[in-house]
Amino acid sequence: MKQRFQILNDPRFHLVYGISQRFSDGPSPSKVRLNREGFTLAQNVKKKAVVHSGMLLAEHPSIEKGDLFSPIYGEITEINERSIFISALPQPPDTPEVEPVDLLQEGLEGDELVMRCKKMGLNTRSLGCRCETLIINGLNPDPGVTWTEPMLNSHIRTFHAAMELHRRMGRFKNVILAIPQGSHLSYDGVKTVHVPAEYPNSLNPLLIKNVTGEENPEGFGCIGLHNLWSLGRVGRTGLPLTETVITIGSYEHSGNYIVKDGSTVGELLDFARIALKDHDTVVRGGPLRGESVDRLDRSITKGTYGLFVVEAGTIPPMEGHSSCINCGACVLICPARLSPSNLSRYAEFALHERCRKEHIDICMDCGLCGYVCIARRPVLQYIRLAKQKLAEKDAQKQREEIKITSA
Amino acid sequence: MSNTSPTSVLLSVSASPFWHCGRTVRAHRYHTLLALLPAVLLAIWHWGLPAARVMALAIVTGVAVEALCQRLMGRELSIDDFSGVVACLLFAFLLPAASPWWLVMLGATLCITLGKMAFGGLGANPLNTSLVGWALLYVSWPVLMDPNAMQLTTQYIDPLVRLKYFGAESVASISLTDLLLGKQIGALGASQTLALLLGGIYLATRGIIRWEISAGFIMGVVVMAAIFHTVNPVQYASPFFHMLTGSTILGAFFLATEPASSPDRQIPMMFYGLLGGAMVIIIRIFGEYTDGVPFAILLVNLLSPLLDSIRPKPFGGK
Ligand code: SF4
Ligand code: SF4
Repeated sequence: MKQRFQILNDPRFHLVYGISQRFSDGPSPSKVRLNREGFTLAQNVKKKAVVHSGMLLAEHPSIEKGDLFSPIYGEITEINERSIFISALPQPPDTPEVEPVDLLQEGLEGDELVMRCKKMGLNTRSLGCRCETLIINGLNPDPGVTWTEPMLNSHIRTFHAAMELHRRMGRFKNVILAIPQGSHLSYDGVKTVHVPAEYPNSLNPLLIKNVTGEENPEGFGCIGLHNLWSLGRVGRTGLPLTETVITIGSYEHSGNYIVKDGSTVGELLDFARIALKDHDTVVRGGPLRGESVDRLDRSITKGTYGLFVVEAGTIPPMEGHSSCINCGACVLICPARLSPSNLSRYAEFALHERCRKEHIDICMDCGLCGYVCIARRPVLQYIRLAKQKLAEKDAQKQREEIKITSA
Repeated sequence: MSNTSPTSVLLSVSASPFWHCGRTVRAHRYHTLLALLPAVLLAIWHWGLPAARVMALAIVTGVAVEALCQRLMGRELSIDDFSGVVACLLFAFLLPAASPWWLVMLGATLCITLGKMAFGGLGANPLNTSLVGWALLYVSWPVLMDPNAMQLTTQYIDPLVRLKYFGAESVASISLTDLLLGKQIGALGASQTLALLLGGIYLATRGIIRWEISAGFIMGVVVMAAIFHTVNPVQYASPFFHMLTGSTILGAFFLATEPASSPDRQIPMMFYGLLGGAMVIIIRIFGEYTDGVPFAILLVNLLSPLLDSIRPKPFGGK
């Protein structure tokens, strides 16, 4: 009965899907497109160069961002400001092989290990900040994403390798694994806490609240299972990271795949046997927070965790400009207890400072406001826009202050 | 079919979230109309064709006026969201079945123009759309708007009029079943209490109206009436009597719950309902209006922004 009177009554939001099947390998891409913004190209990486799988393509100046490696054997067909394009070639027998490194054997610790991981392609920023207690987020991040359970149940060795490496990085004192209520998982030496597996509990602030009973307590940090898996993958294979786990799903079909960095959306959907019709929407990321792509040759990156097709006609269309009718649904649903209706209206009329007064910074970007909006307003989009404008403004202000103080 | 050619299909690009609860303004209004249907049928059953005439006239006028306003304001036509139909039907529910045609048309026009479009259209009105039209007519032509004065050819009685002038004892014999079934003089739709109650519960369980408001409103009526009734049962009627007469049920489920003019959060919604309900009894006992519901709701509509300022701290408490 409890659910009856609620606005949110979607069984898909229950983040447990009972899937234990191990991940299948994705397709060998015929071409890849890698993002190189902010990277410095390695020597000899230029158009027409032949590269092999695991070869260093570009380095990133920050320790937080993993270096870029070629996911396939092939020829670089184009390099522009933003991307590197590689076309696959048949691999000759004498292709150089990348020598695996056993990180666990090597025995590095602390920041040295972090640097080592960065040099193996890991985005170390997403491995969690330094904190007293680290909570491993064992919930599927978005509804529809289903790789969490297999990651915890069927890829145990990867998980253990990751835990060991992460412990050696020394970023936390205690660790807690947050898993869905009703789940019977247990690991030696890892404390588990059960949390209700309903979206949006998978968002870090809410996860921490569910674990600790407090909102934004001091000393807690989170790490997504997806990032931990990548760490474990590098630990187990000893090879640079050139892949990611994603759920590929449509209304009827869904599966988890280990796919190559830079694979194109079209090839992945083909591989998963999902046929597209005109006016379908292809979503990179999760169905609630992801972004739609405009072309099938767009690619996925290491951080991508899902690829979804939303069939035309399955949700009510957005009808151009629609104004807020004050139905209040978004206010009731917002887990941050904000008024998305006001925020979106202020953003609509470029009153960004008012958004700040209404605590827009607390918004968790869960997307529920847009999900429940009966006027089909792009509520989340407005809020993101306002956040971006405010950030730009702050950056501008900071620059000016620096100028003044240095002058 | 292959997806490898980037141009083989035309993809739709839009903004996240890409899933949606499926609720739309239009669907909400369909459900509301469905919930009102039993009351519409009973109204025709009790009051015959005149009732049908009033409802149809109100809707047709209202929708035409809305279309005209939108045209004049250079807006996109949105009459197909049925919100105008619902507002005008609710307005008609508050009229006597014997209302003259010009009164109905004038009222519907006022609802849409002053109750809705003047503030910028759906959702921007601070007062209930249907009640704005009703109130303007009521203060101008009180007799024409009084069901007891208009329905001369019926064997029913107006329980509220009787209560006002002859005291609680005179209405003690009126059976609650009769009141539930609409065997009373009242506004044509508002008096179909059982039908409205069922429709209202349907909307509340579907989450289309906020149960907090309806529950608060009924609580307000019942508690306030109970207090008076306990103090002096000879003078003051029982809470159930108040619940089933006038437009209490219509108000609780269909008028007070109009989203634009009511608060958004749970606690303010409950207060709003309670205050509205309590106000009904106060007006009925101390005021000069027999029903009290429309004015009580208009009053709490005005309080709604104030109530909305009762807000929890945002996440993390700042
Ligand atoms: S995305 Fe919307 S619902 Fe979610 S926290 Fe932000 S404002 Fe609230
Ligand atoms: S859900 Fe949409 S229409 Fe309703 S109050 Fe929020 S923004 Fe406005």
